[in-house]
Amino acid sequence: MKPAKNIEEFVRLEKPHVTTGGEMDERTLTDSFAAMDETLRAGKPNAAGIILRSKMAKLAAAAVILVAAGLLMDYRNPPVQPPPRTVGTAKSPAEMLTMISLNIAYRRGGIEAVDEQTSKAFEMLGSQSATVSIHELLAESNGV
Amino acid sequence: MIDEKILVWRFNRGSKDAFRMLYEKYKDDLLGLAITLLRDRSLAEDVVHDVFVSFAGTTGSFHLSGTLKGYLSTCVANAARDRNRSRSRRDVGLEAAEAIHSDSGNPVQHVIDSEQSGRLTELLGRVAYEQREVIVLHLHHEMRFKEIAEALGISINTVQSRYRYGLEKLRTIMNSMVTK
Repeated sequence: MKPAKNIEEFVRLEKPHVTTGGEMDERTLTDSFAAMDETLRAGKPNAAGIILRSKMAKLAAAAVILVAAGLLMDYRNPPVQPPPRTVGTAKSPAEMLTMISLNIAYRRGGIEAVDEQTSKAFEMLGSQSATVSIHELLAESNGV
Repeated sequence: MIDEKILVWRFNRGSKDAFRMLYEKYKDDLLGLAITLLRDRSLAEDVVHDVFVSFAGTTGSFHLSGTLKGYLSTCVANAARDRNRSRSRRDVGLEAAEAIHSDSGNPVQHVIDSEQSGRLTELLGRVAYEQREVIVLHLHHEMRFKEIAEALGISINTVQSRYRYGLEKLRTIMNSMVTK
């Protein structure tokens, strides 16, 4: 064994085995309990403080705050939606005046959209005699 | 280890029983460390007392990153160093190293302790305090050089050189005793 190892071994083996006296134990425990009481009386540390001591908890808390802020912003300023199309998709006046087409127009833009669609359909038909029937009008326009 | 974590957890919730158990577990080891460093039992008792009172005051907010033994040993080493600096700068020469001072406590206990710890404490008393500190923390308290460096706020190279020079000094002292 090397001399240095000998010395290390000697120091290890000669570790002092001392014991505390009863007087010291009593004094230390009494003063320690008093210190504990004082700390507890001064107020419990808040839960957030304890939780945020961990790095992971800090990161998680930061992520939650960011997500919450994002949701709040989104709620307050919703993204601008394109205005609903009020122009009918029907090509011919006959199609534009069917119940289905008018219903779709109503669902897209309400009564204004229905009014706009019918106006467009009648514009396409142009001015006609008051005696002509709707059926004749549409037949003339669509070639039906 | 798990038991210790549970005890620390309970201590953090204000359990005095848990604190008492931790005290019982480490008091003798820490007193031994303080005596080896200071070579004065009454001063050593004061150091251990102060460390435990200070530790008790952290209930509710104590956060353990390593082992409790390492933490408390570091506290004792730091407190002992402060005491060593502040106490009267009496020369701890060969004559003074003959005995461990004690101003208080049970005399019988003191004699038993002196016999058990006397030989090494006397020898280490002739080694520089900084070297003694590193040797004791490493060999008696199983602290790694890196841990000691962090605890004492010095580089690991300094710790290793203090350890090496300390052991060399100890060997020289022992050799001189043999040749006398």
